[in-house]
Amino acid sequence: MTALTSTPGRAPSSAAPSAPSSSQARRRADRPKLRHTAVGLLFLAVMLFPVYWMVNASLQPSGNTLTADFLPLNPSFAGYERAIAQQGPNLVTSLLISLGTVAFSLAVAAPAAYMLSQIRSRWISVALLAILVSQMIPGIVIANALYAAYNDLGLLNSIHGLILADATHAIPFVILILRAFMMRIPPSIVEAARVDGAGVVRAFVSIVLPVSRNSLITAGLFAFLFSWSDFLFALTLTTTEAVRPVTLGIYTYLGTQVSNWSAVMATAVLSSLPAIVLLVLAQKYIAAGATGGSVK
Amino acid sequence: MKKNVTRLLALAALAPLALTACGGGGQSTAAEDVKELTVLDYYNNEPDKSHVQKALDRCAGQLGVTLKRETTPGKDLIQKVLQRSSSRTLPDVLMLDNPDVKEIAATGGLSPLGDYGVDTSGFAPGMIDAATLDGKVYGLAPTANTLGLFYNKEMLAAAGVEPPRTWDELKAAAAKLTTGDRYGLAFSAIATYEGAWQFLPFMWTNGGDETDLTGGQVAEALAFTDGLVASGSASKSVVNWSQADVRDQFAAGKAAMMINGPWQIPSLAKTPDVKWEAVQVPVNEAGQTPVAPLGGEVWTVPQTGSKAKQAKAAELVECIASDENQLALAKERFVVPTRTALGAEYAKAVPEMAAFTEQVANARSRTGKLGKDWPKAATVMYTAIQLSLTDQATPEEAFARASAG
Amino acid sequence: MPTLETPVAPGGVSPARAAAPPARGARRRRASRERLVQALFLAPAGLYLVLFFGYPVVKNVLMSLQEYTTRTFFTGEAPWVGLANYATAIGSNLFGPAMLNTALFTVGSIAGQFAIGLALASFFRKRFPLSGFLRSMLLLPWLLPLIVSSATWRSILDQDSGVLNGFLRGVGLISEPIPWLTSPSVALIAVVLVNIWVGIPFNVTILYGGLQEIPEELYEAGAMDGATGWKAFWHITWPNLRPVVSVVLVLGVVYTLKVLDIILGLTNGGPANATQTLAVRSYQESFVNFQFGVGAAFSNILILISLVFAVVYLRLNRRAVDE
Repeated sequence: MTALTSTPGRAPSSAAPSAPSSSQARRRADRPKLRHTAVGLLFLAVMLFPVYWMVNASLQPSGNTLTADFLPLNPSFAGYERAIAQQGPNLVTSLLISLGTVAFSLAVAAPAAYMLSQIRSRWISVALLAILVSQMIPGIVIANALYAAYNDLGLLNSIHGLILADATHAIPFVILILRAFMMRIPPSIVEAARVDGAGVVRAFVSIVLPVSRNSLITAGLFAFLFSWSDFLFALTLTTTEAVRPVTLGIYTYLGTQVSNWSAVMATAVLSSLPAIVLLVLAQKYIAAGATGGSVK
Repeated sequence: MKKNVTRLLALAALAPLALTACGGGGQSTAAEDVKELTVLDYYNNEPDKSHVQKALDRCAGQLGVTLKRETTPGKDLIQKVLQRSSSRTLPDVLMLDNPDVKEIAATGGLSPLGDYGVDTSGFAPGMIDAATLDGKVYGLAPTANTLGLFYNKEMLAAAGVEPPRTWDELKAAAAKLTTGDRYGLAFSAIATYEGAWQFLPFMWTNGGDETDLTGGQVAEALAFTDGLVASGSASKSVVNWSQADVRDQFAAGKAAMMINGPWQIPSLAKTPDVKWEAVQVPVNEAGQTPVAPLGGEVWTVPQTGSKAKQAKAAELVECIASDENQLALAKERFVVPTRTALGAEYAKAVPEMAAFTEQVANARSRTGKLGKDWPKAATVMYTAIQLSLTDQATPEEAFARASAG
Repeated sequence: MPTLETPVAPGGVSPARAAAPPARGARRRRASRERLVQALFLAPAGLYLVLFFGYPVVKNVLMSLQEYTTRTFFTGEAPWVGLANYATAIGSNLFGPAMLNTALFTVGSIAGQFAIGLALASFFRKRFPLSGFLRSMLLLPWLLPLIVSSATWRSILDQDSGVLNGFLRGVGLISEPIPWLTSPSVALIAVVLVNIWVGIPFNVTILYGGLQEIPEELYEAGAMDGATGWKAFWHITWPNLRPVVSVVLVLGVVYTLKVLDIILGLTNGGPANATQTLAVRSYQESFVNFQFGVGAAFSNILILISLVFAVVYLRLNRRAVDE
C-alpha cells in the first residue's frame, strides 16, 4: 500500500535517484510546482470569496454588507460573542451526529457496495436504480413519516435517532460511490487471497477494505458533510432543545420577522472550523494509486 | 445498534398506522389534575422569545401549571403542526400566524373557544375575523401589527418634503428624495406572501378586493407601485427584497422612506443616527380611510383528546390575551394591543406607535373574505406584481395573466 | 449502471470460484455458503433502504392519487382522485416554463460543475506544495448551511450594492449594473452560477478520488507508446474513470433536479416565475398552497424524470463501453 510507484511528474520523483540532481535542476523542477500552488491559491480564493464575504458580514454591526467596506475596518464581535456563548454544546452535538452517521453509513454500505460490485445479475441494475430513486424522494416526505414512527418508538430528541435519519442522505450515496470504486479493484488480488484459503468475509476485511481506503475516506467525507448540513431532520425529529445541531441552532437567530444576521454568520463561520480541520486530516490519508500500488 | 434495528423493524410496521390511528396520550382527567401544558410557537428569536416567555410564565403562575414550551422557526411551523396533527401529538396551546388559523381550524384540529366560555368581545374586528370559522372563534391574539410608512426625518427635512398623505404626494416625495445611490422609497415585492401583504394597503385603500383581483381598482393600485419603480424612485430590486431587506436599505440610508411594520423598530434602534417617524400608508385621494392588512399571531387550543387540558389551555389563551399581557407584550415588542379600548392608552405610552395603533383599528384580515382560498389569491397577487414590475406585463393585464396560473 | 465493466466471471459470485474446482458436493455446499454470505453482506443495507425509503415512496405515490389537504393530516381522510393531481400539475400554465427551467438549470449546473470539477481534479493530481490542503479547503462551502450561503450570495449579487457588480464595474467589464436576481432574463443564469459554485467541491473530490485509483503503470505504459497529455487523458484516464464519471453525473443530475433551498433562498422562484422549477413547484403547491396531492404529483414527475434519465444514460453508457 505504501509503495507508491514513483513516476515522472510526481512528488517522490523529484527526490528519486534517477536524475543526477544538481540543486539547480531541482530548483528548476520546483518552479512549475510553485506556480501550480499559486494557481491553486487563486482559484481557491475565488471559490471561497463568498465565505470571506460571510465573515465580513458577520463582523458588521448591522449583520449585512450594504454599507460595508471590502475589509471589516470597524469590526463588531457581538455576533461571535453570542455564537460562542450559545452554540458550543450544539457544535458538539453536530460533531457526534456527523461522526456517528459516517460510522453507521460505512458499516452498512460498504459490504453491500462490495457485493453489488461483484455479483452479476440483471437485478443489480434494478437495485441500483432503486437506490438512485431513493435519492429523489423529497426529504420532507421522509421526515414526516419518520416523525410519526419516531414518536411511537421514543426516538425523538435522541442522537442515535438523528444518526439513523441522517444516514438516509448518506447510505444510498455511499453504496453507489463505493461500488463504482470497488469495481476497479483488480480481481487478481482478491483471487489470490481466496486461493490462500480466505473466505469472502476475510477477503473483504483484509484485502478489499484496505485497498478501498481512498474511496472509503471520500465516501465518509460526504457522509459527514451530508449529515453536518442536515436541517430538516434536526427540525422534525427534535421537540426540545436537548439535542440540537448547529444548523438548527442557527435558527434561534432567524426570527419570523427579525433576524440577527451577524450572529447567524458568526455561528456558521465558527462551526465550520472544527469540521474543516477534520476534513483536512481525512483528506491527508487519501493516497495516490492505492490499488495500483498493492497489486505489485 | 442491534436494538435500534429491531426497533426500526417495528417502526416500519407501525409507521402507516401512526398516521391514521390515534396515538392517544391525553387521557381525560379532572380539571384540577392538570399540572402541565405544552406550548408551541414561532417566537424562536431573541428578544421576542423572552418577552413571550415572560407573559406565558405570568399566566402559568396564575393558573398553577408548568409549561413545556417549544419554539420553531416561523416558516416551518405549519409543517410541524401537520406532523403533530397526523400523529395526534398537537400541543395543548398552539400559536398560529393569523392567516393560517382558518386553514388549521378547518381540519378539525382546533377547538372553538366558546366551548370554554372565553369572552371574545372587544377585540379588533379584523383579528376576530381571522380566527373565526363558521361563526366560531378559534383563537385570540394579544397583539397585532400592520404596515405603515416610515420616513427618515433628516432626509425629508433636508429635501423640504412633508410626510406624504396621498399617492400623489408619495410619488412626488419619492422622486424628490431619490439622489445618487439613494432611492426615495423602499418596499417589498418579493415572490412570497410578504410581497402580497405589502401590496394590500394600496389595493384595499383604493377599493380593490381580493375576491375580484382583475378589477380596475386593483390594477390602478398596481399601476401606482409600478410607476414608482419605472420612474426610478424605487429600486428594481424590490422584486427580490423581503421586508427585512427593506429595513436594511432604510437603516443603511439607501432609502428615504419605506413601507414596513413596527416589528422593525427594535432593529432600527441599532442605527440611532437614522432618525425616523412613521405615518399611515398614504391613500389614493385625500379623505379615504387607509385600510391596511392585519398581522399578528393567534393563540389556539388544539383538540388533544383531554377535555381537562383543553379547558386549562383555554384559560391560558384567555390570560395571554388579557389587558395586562396585551399592554406588556405590545410595549416590549412594538406591536399594538388588539383590545381596541386599550388603543388610546397605548398610543400615549408609546408615541412612535401612534400611527400603527390607529391603522390597526381599521385594519382588515387577509383571510376574512376568502378563508382557505387566501393562499391562492396571495400567490396571484405577488405573481402579478412581479410580472408588472419586471415589465413582463402591464399593470392592467398582469392580474389576468397571473390568475391564469 | 455500467455493470458490464465488472471484472468478474459471468454468473459467478467471485473469481475465486474458478480458481480451484473442488468436488461437486463440496462445491454446492460452498456455493450455498457463498450465497448466505452474499445475503449477509446485502441485508443491512437492504433492510435500511426498505425501512427508511420504502414507506415514504409508497406514501408519496399514494398522496399524489388523493385529494390530500391539510385536513387529511388530522382526519386521515383523503378521497381518491386517480390521476387528477397529475392533470392539474401538467395542465397548469407554469408546468411548461418549470420543465424548461428545470432542464436549463440541470444541464447548465451539471455542465459547469463537471467541467470545472474535472479540470480541478486533474490539476490537483499534479502534486504541488499545499495541494492537499487547498483541495480540502475547497469543501469549506459545504460546511456552511445553505440558508447562510444563499443569503450571502443574495447580498453579493445585489443589483445596486452587491460586491459582484461593484467589482465588474471597477475593472471596467460592465458600465450598467447587471440585474442578477431581479431580471427575469438573468435570474436563472445567476441561480445556475451559484449552484455550480455549490457543486464544484463534490465533483472535484469524487473525480479526484477516481483519478487517484488509476494505476500509474498504465500511464507509464502509455507514455512508452507515445500517449501523453491529451492523448493519455483520452485513452487512459477517461476509460478508466468511466465508472466514477457515471456515478458523478447520474448522482449530480439527481441531486440537481431536486435542488430547492438554493432557489428558494435566492429568488423564491421569481422574479415573475423566471426561476420556477419542478422542485419549487412541488414545494409551493404543498407548503404554500396546501395542495399536498398536487405537490406530490410534481415530485413524482421529478422522480420519473430522473429515473428515465438514469436508465437512458446507463443504456447509452453500456453501449459505449461495448463498442
